[in-house]
Amino acid sequence: MTATPTTAAEVTWAARADSASKVYGSGDTEVHALRGVSVGFESGKFTAIMGPSGSGKSTLMHCMAGLDRLTSGSAFIGGTDLGTLNDKQLTKMRREQVGFIFQSFNLVPTLNVVENVTLPSDLGDGKIDKDWVHEVIETVGLGDRISHRPNELSGGQQQRVAVARALATRPEIVFGDEPTGNLDSRTSAEILDFMRRAVRELGQTIVMVTHDPVTASYSDRVLFLADGQIVKQMEDPTPDSVLDTIKSLGD
Amino acid sequence: MLKLVVRGIRANLGRLALTLISVVLGVAFVSGSFVLADSLRSIFNQISEDAFAGVDAQVRAVEPELNSSGENLIRFDESIIADVQALPEVEYAEGGIFAFEQTYSLLPDGEINRPLGPPVFTSSWGGPSPVSSFTIVEGEAPSGQQVALDSSQATAGGFAVGDMVTMSLPTGEPEQFQLSAIIDFGDGGTGGAYFNLFDLDTTQRILDAGDVIDSIVVNGGSTDADALLTAIEPLLPADIEVVSGETVIGEQQEEFGGFIDIFGNILLGFAVVVLFVSTFIIYNTFAILVGQRTKQLGLLRSIGASGTQIRLMVLIEAVIIGIVASIVGLFGGIGVAWGLKQLFSTGGNSFPDGPLQIQPRTVIVVVLVGLVVTVLSAILPAIRASRVSPLEAVRDGGRKERSMTFRLVAGAIVLLPGLVLLALGMFGDIDGTASRLTSIGVGAALTFIGVSMLSALFAGRAAGTLGIPVEATRGINGRLARDNASRNPQRTAATATALMIGLALITGVAVLTASLLATFDDLLDDALTADLFVYEANQGLDFSSSVVEQLDALDTTEDVAGFAIVEMFVDGEVESVTGFDTATGTAVINPGIVDGVAELSERGLAVFDETAADRGWALGTTVPVEFEDGFTTDLTVELIYDDRSIVENAFIVNRELSRQHVQIDAVAFVGVTFPDGADAAAARADVETVTNNFAQLTVQDNTEFQEEVEGQVGQIQIVISGLLVLCLVVAFFGIINTMALSVLERTREIGLLRAVGMTRSQLKSTIRWEAVIVSIFGALLGIGMGLLLGWAAVIAIPDSFISKVGIPWGSLVVYLVVGGVIGVIAAYFPARRASKLNVLDAISHA
Ligand SMILES: Nc1ncnc2c1ncn2[C@@H]1O[C@H](COP(=O)(O)OP(=O)(O)OP(=O)(O)O)[C@@H](O)[C@H]1O
Ligand SMILES: [Mg+2]
Repeated sequence: MTATPTTAAEVTWAARADSASKVYGSGDTEVHALRGVSVGFESGKFTAIMGPSGSGKSTLMHCMAGLDRLTSGSAFIGGTDLGTLNDKQLTKMRREQVGFIFQSFNLVPTLNVVENVTLPSDLGDGKIDKDWVHEVIETVGLGDRISHRPNELSGGQQQRVAVARALATRPEIVFGDEPTGNLDSRTSAEILDFMRRAVRELGQTIVMVTHDPVTASYSDRVLFLADGQIVKQMEDPTPDSVLDTIKSLGD
Repeated sequence: MLKLVVRGIRANLGRLALTLISVVLGVAFVSGSFVLADSLRSIFNQISEDAFAGVDAQVRAVEPELNSSGENLIRFDESIIADVQALPEVEYAEGGIFAFEQTYSLLPDGEINRPLGPPVFTSSWGGPSPVSSFTIVEGEAPSGQQVALDSSQATAGGFAVGDMVTMSLPTGEPEQFQLSAIIDFGDGGTGGAYFNLFDLDTTQRILDAGDVIDSIVVNGGSTDADALLTAIEPLLPADIEVVSGETVIGEQQEEFGGFIDIFGNILLGFAVVVLFVSTFIIYNTFAILVGQRTKQLGLLRSIGASGTQIRLMVLIEAVIIGIVASIVGLFGGIGVAWGLKQLFSTGGNSFPDGPLQIQPRTVIVVVLVGLVVTVLSAILPAIRASRVSPLEAVRDGGRKERSMTFRLVAGAIVLLPGLVLLALGMFGDIDGTASRLTSIGVGAALTFIGVSMLSALFAGRAAGTLGIPVEATRGINGRLARDNASRNPQRTAATATALMIGLALITGVAVLTASLLATFDDLLDDALTADLFVYEANQGLDFSSSVVEQLDALDTTEDVAGFAIVEMFVDGEVESVTGFDTATGTAVINPGIVDGVAELSERGLAVFDETAADRGWALGTTVPVEFEDGFTTDLTVELIYDDRSIVENAFIVNRELSRQHVQIDAVAFVGVTFPDGADAAAARADVETVTNNFAQLTVQDNTEFQEEVEGQVGQIQIVISGLLVLCLVVAFFGIINTMALSVLERTREIGLLRAVGMTRSQLKSTIRWEAVIVSIFGALLGIGMGLLLGWAAVIAIPDSFISKVGIPWGSLVVYLVVGGVIGVIAAYFPARRASKLNVLDAISHA
C-alpha cells in the first residue's frame, strides 16, 4: 500500500479546528491557551506540532481529540462537530475514531498487552479485527509478550503498546502528546519509524506534539505554535530545517 | 511536626470523616447504653420513692425458703392490722393484698383489655391516704362491687366513671363492677402498667384468698422511724417482720436496677461488638493512608525525620480522630438515648418522664473507649509507617507487603487459640453455660481476627474466582472490577472483615434460632400428645387449678391434665418440682418413660434419668421431701423418665399431693385430649366456653402452639439481628471508605480509561462490581463463620434446650444478597465521584 497522492482539490480532513479558542480560569487568572486557531489535519498525513512550553500544544490536541471542550470556535473529527456531542457521544467518538498516546502512564496495570491493546474495542461492541490486532502487536515488536503485564515491560515497550492500542481500532486520527518524550533516542527512533510506516503504508493519520527537531523530522509537516496561535508551518522537515525555524521564531 | 499532622488530616478530611463515622457509631452505642440505663434507673428510683413516700414502715411475711407462688407475695392473717393500728406511735396503717396478673377488665366485645408488655396489677385500696401512692383523677374510692382503674386502662376500654365494667377473675366467673374512680400515680400515668383496685374484702374474695393480706403499710406521723419499728416489732408472730420504708424503697430500686443492669449490659455487649468491627475499619483506613503516603513519608525520612517521629505523627492523627469521634459519639449517644426515652413515653404507654442522666462515668468511659480503640487500631499502620525507608521517596510504586509466611504465622498464632477456646466451649469440661459461652465469645473474637489475617492469603484468588461470573456477564467492566478487587488482597481482606463479622453474628443467631425451632419441632412431635393446651401465653403465669376440673367435667374431653410448678425440699435441697395429674398426664405429654409406671401413687416420685443416676437412685428408693407448708414425708421413686422438654424439672410428684401443701393452688399448663373420632371443632368450642371466663388464657393446638413459639423466637431473632445490623452499617462505611481511597489511588488509571473510551456509566459499573465482589467475599466468609459459630453455640448449649442443628438456607441466601446490595450502595458515592472526574485532571493527577 502506498500513500495516495492528493491535490488541493480533493483533500479530506481527518480532523479540523475552526477559530479554536480556549480560555482557562477567569478574571485575573484568565489564561488564553488558544487564540483562534484554524487548522486541518489531512487524512493519511503525519503532522508534528512544536512550540515553546505553554504555547498551547497540549490544549489544542486535547480539544481536538475530544478530551476537553473549546471555549469558542469548533473542532471536527471527520465531519462531526465535537461541540454538538454530549459526554457519552464524545466518549464513543474517542473510543472509535480517536487514538491517543500520552507521554507516560498509558496502560491499565491489571491488563496484559493484548488486553490493553483491545481495551477501546472491549469498552465498545468488542468487534475488532483480531488478525489486525496481532499484526499491529507483531509490528511493534511485542509478539512474544502479548500476555505480559505493563509492570513486566520496559518504558519503551510500554509506549509501543500504547501506539499499538492507538492504531488497533483503525481510528480516524491518532494524537500523541510527546509520545517519545521519556525514551532514549534509539527507542524513540524505532517507535517513530513505526508511526511513519503506519502513515505511509496504512494511510493512518497521526498528529504528535514534540520538542525535539529530530522527532519532528519524521513527520510530513510541522506546525509551529506560539502563544496560542499557529505562527508557521513547514512541509517535509529535516532536523536542521526545524532547528533553524525554531531559532528564527525565537528571535 | 504538628503542622504536618494537621495538614495530613486536612488533606484527607473526607476519608477521615468516614473513619470517624465508624468510631462514632460504636462510641455512640456505648454512650447511649449508659445514658439510657442511667436515666431509666433514675426514673424508676424516683417512682419507687414516690410510691412509698408516706410509708414509714411495712409489715410483711419473712420470705420463706420455699415459695411456689412465684410473683405473688406471701400472705398472713389480717388480724394484725387492728393491733398495729392501735399503737399510739402509728398515725395511719392500711393492710392490703396484691396480685400480679389476676384480674382484667374486658372490652365490650368480651376481649381482654391488657397493655402490650407492662403487667396488670390487682390490689386492695382503701382510698387516698398518707400511705397510698394513688390519687383519684375522678370519682371515689371503690367499695363493695366497685372497681377503680388507672386512666390508661379506662381510656383503652372506653370506660367512664359510673359505667359497669366486666372484670375477668381468677375464679373463672367474670363479674360486673361499677367504675367508682379513675386513678393514677401522684404525678399522672402509671408507667404503662394497668391497676385494678378493689376494697380489701372484695379483693380477698376475688383472689379466693380468705382473710389474709400480704402487707401492712404504716405512716408514723411524727414518730421517729426506729421508734416505730421498735413499737410494731413485739406485736408480730415469728414469721412476720417489719421493715422501714427506706428498706422497701431500697429493695424495689435494687430489683428494678437489676433489670436495668441486664438491659444496659446487653446494649453494652452489642456496643462492644460494633466497636470491634470498627477497629478493622480504622485499621484499614490508616493502613491505606500510610500506604498512599509512602513517598511523602520517605521524603520526610530522607530529610531527617526519625522513625519515632513518623510513628508519633500517625499516632497523633489517631488521637485527634479518637477524641473528635468520642465527643461526637458521646453526644450522638445522648441524642439516641433521649430519642428512645421520648419514644417510650409517647408509645401510648405514658412512660414516666425524667431528666437524662449523663454521669461523669459515662463521659470518661466513652472518651477513653473511643480513644483507645482508635489508637490501638492505628498502632500497626504507625509502626509500618515508621519503617518506611528514605529510599522509598525515590523508588516508584510497589510498596512492599509483608511476606506471606509472616501473615500465615501471625494469623495462625491468633487463630489457633481462638479455635481452641471455641472447641473448649463446645466440647470442653467447663461448668456452666455462661463460662462456656464466654469461652466461645473470646474464641470467636480471636477467630475473627485470625481469619481476617489469613484471609489476605486467599482474598486475591477468592475475589478473582468470585469475579469470574461478573467478567462473563459484564465484559470488560466486569474484568476490570474483578482485577481491581483482587489486586490488593490485604485491602480486600480487611474491607471484607467488617462485613464478615456482622454477617457471621447475624448468621450465627439465625442458625441458633433455626436449631431452636428444629429442636422444638421434634419435641412437639414426640413430647406433646395433647389435642389442645391451655396456658397464659403472655408471661407464662400460673392460673387457677379450677380450670382443670371445669374442663374435665365437659363431655367432649377425654383426658385433662394440669401441671403445677412447686418449690420443695427434695432430699434436703430446694428444687423446682412438677406436680402432675398422674392418671391423665401421660395422655397429654410423653416424658419418655425409661422405667417404672406412668401412674404415680399419691406418695410416688418420678426422677429424670440423669439426675437419678447422679444421686444413685433407682425404682423403689425412698426420698425425704418437705413442702412449702412444712409438711414432710417420704416419697418412693416409681418412674424414671428421659425427656425434660415439656416437663422442664428433674422431679415430678403427684399433683393430688402437692396441691394440698401450697399457698395458692394453681397450674401453669393444662393439656386436653378428645375422645377418638370426636369433632375437634365442636370439642374446642366447648373448651373455650370454659377458658373464655379466664380472659388471660390461650387455647392452642399443636400447630398454633408451634406458630406461636416460632413467632416469639422469630421476634427475638429480629431484635438481636436489628442490633447487629449496626455492625453492617459500620461495615458499609468501611466499604465506602476503602472504595473511595482505591478510586483516589487509581485516579490516573481512571483518567486513562475515560480517555480511551470508557463511558461514565461503564466506570460506575466497574466500581460497583468491584465493591460487590469484595462484599460478597466478606458475606461468604461471614456466612461460613456464622455457620461455624452457630454450630459451636448449639453444641455448647445444653441438649435439653437445643439438641439439633438447623440451617436456615433461605436466610443465608438473603444475607448473601444483602452483602451484595451493601456493596452496590457503598459503591454509589465513590463511583459517582470517579465518574465526575475531569479526564485531563485525572490523567495529570500526581
Ligand atoms: N487546566 C488548566 N488550568 C489553567 N491553565 C491551564 C490549564 N492547562 C493549561 N493551562 C495553561 O494554558 C497554557 C497552555 O498550556 P498547554 O499545556 O497547552 O501548553 P504546552 O504547549 O502543552 O506546554 P508544554 O510544552 O510545557 O507541555 C499554559 O499557560 C498553561 O499554564
Ligand atoms: Mg504539553
